[in-house]
Amino acid sequence: MINYRVFKASLAIYWLGAFTLVTLTGCIKDIPNEATNPYFFEKPVGFPEPTYTFYNNELTEDGFKLGKKLFFDPMLSIDGTVSCGSCHIQSTAFADQQLHHISVGVQNRVGIRNALPLFNLAFYKEFFWDGGVTHLDFVPINAIESPFEMDETLLGVLEKLRLSKEYPALYEKAFGTTTINTGLTMDALAQFMNRMISANSKYDQSLKGEVELTEKEQRGLQLFNEHCENCHSGILFTNQEYHNNGISTVFPDSGRALISANNMDIGKFRVPSLRNIDRTSPYMHNAKFQTLEEVLEHYANGVQQSATLDSRLILPNGTLGIPLNPQQQADIIAFLKTLTDFDFINDPLFFKD
Amino acid sequence: MKVSTIFSTLLVGTVLLFTSCTPEEEVLKEGSLQLIFDNRVGNTEIAITSDTDTNFPYTSPMNQMFNITKLGYYVSRVELTGPNGESYVDKVTTGPMDEDVNGFYHVQEKDVNSQLVTLENVPSGTYDELTFTLGVEADAVQQGATGGPLDPANGGWLWNWDAGYIGWAMEGRSPSSPAVAGPFNKDNSVKLHIGGWKEIAGNTAMTNNVKRITLKFPSSVEVGEGLTPSAHLHMDLLVALGAHASGHSGHGGSHMHHQVDFSTEYSVHSPAAGKDIGENLEGAFEVHHVHQ
Repeated sequence: MINYRVFKASLAIYWLGAFTLVTLTGCIKDIPNEATNPYFFEKPVGFPEPTYTFYNNELTEDGFKLGKKLFFDPMLSIDGTVSCGSCHIQSTAFADQQLHHISVGVQNRVGIRNALPLFNLAFYKEFFWDGGVTHLDFVPINAIESPFEMDETLLGVLEKLRLSKEYPALYEKAFGTTTINTGLTMDALAQFMNRMISANSKYDQSLKGEVELTEKEQRGLQLFNEHCENCHSGILFTNQEYHNNGISTVFPDSGRALISANNMDIGKFRVPSLRNIDRTSPYMHNAKFQTLEEVLEHYANGVQQSATLDSRLILPNGTLGIPLNPQQQADIIAFLKTLTDFDFINDPLFFKD
Repeated sequence: MKVSTIFSTLLVGTVLLFTSCTPEEEVLKEGSLQLIFDNRVGNTEIAITSDTDTNFPYTSPMNQMFNITKLGYYVSRVELTGPNGESYVDKVTTGPMDEDVNGFYHVQEKDVNSQLVTLENVPSGTYDELTFTLGVEADAVQQGATGGPLDPANGGWLWNWDAGYIGWAMEGRSPSSPAVAGPFNKDNSVKLHIGGWKEIAGNTAMTNNVKRITLKFPSSVEVGEGLTPSAHLHMDLLVALGAHASGHSGHGGSHMHHQVDFSTEYSVHSPAAGKDIGENLEGAFEVHHVHQ
């Protein structure tokens, strides 16, 4: 019979030793920096703490590269025609290409909502227009299984990956195992997406004193802070809430209410970030507007009444919308264009290999 | 190595170190206890049938005939307690690999092995109470994609659109359910999926159907080296469908049960739609008997 006390004591020493080793390794490890190693996650100055669970899925070079390969692989769709990258294109900040009103999936099937861009996802608490998903790992499953996106099953994807010549070795490199399963696949995709950080627009550079906004852009910024910042707030340019912004009187897609089961959420949709907004046309969950001019015109003169219309769009005198004359609208648009991060949308790190 | 593992290793290490510093203390003895989940329709054992079967052997509390093609649920975060302060907390972990996942049990009527849950390393002593979570709690969902019984590619019950796990589900057919196929249902089908783990401040419509259930044993059991005690649980589908529980412990007596009417309530696929059945489920389990 084992002497438990001796056994436990030696175990304790072993564990303590293991812990010390880990701590020590952590201390002497080189702090990575972007110049030498772009494959790590760094919170940009002024950003909030990330919401992503990096403690159980640290960003690594091989994980990122596997995630990138998966992101661009049409094998994820039922007939091998559609990849994540088909509807999330870097030049449009990983939103869909601008010619697509609503994204086109397998067999040219068309969905019901405008594909959101992908960046700064590590800081979001909820995903999609209705916020139904609360962890980035679960996001790709929706695209894979949606009948009008990839129309595949998770198991179907995994079986194809397991049979491929390349993937088992890439999983081995990234995760130390040739096992291909849901968790590791979603972890890899999350690593690729978590690295999509957009924080170097002209506006960001102006905050750092590297450039100056033009007079027009500055006027736009001031108007933005007065009239828009309430919802498109903070450094992420979204309060991450759900509001009805008056684009319709009826809502065949009830939006946030699908998740919250609250009638007072019918017609409310996620407040999207305005970063890179000049690149992500069309606008709104149903792609109602093609241009920023149309969007500003909507807020100035087109807001429609409904039971859940956001109260901030109702003036004390009862008129709807945000009072903005054409000059002011143009100024705001000039400011919004300073939110385009050209480094991000041109970063070769994200190019398909 | 995962940070959580490091922490738990340190914790375990520290605890063991501490324990081993107390030479007077008795050697900690452990044993196991098996939980047996037995699903029933009242007093009748359940026989799962195929989608096309038109025999309806069971009768609901609303006197509607039905059969069962799928039945199951998640049990997690299991705890045992005893009259003298005995306490066992089942280890709960998540992670991408199947072996990372502990403490989540997907009990399914179609799989006898899934109905047997053996709790190992239970400190020796007397136990007379079981507490478990029916469903998967927020803490686990928020760890992201995970393996084992929670892996949707391996039979895990994940809702993708409102990401989280279905805690309890029953499917079958009933002649009382509409014969015309709907968007989610085939002819005469009944699909009751009870899920939802979120709470939204200020929104009472948002439903968290994850239930923490505590059940007294009808008599206590001894756990220890060389002993093989078990607790035999019943999950009564009739109670889930609105029948009054037979008055066993762990069930609130004054609770008004919602009776499921298959003619209208045959397609439950959202947290809010599952609220009433979720409340019925709080009374659907009992520890029917124990074996020493």
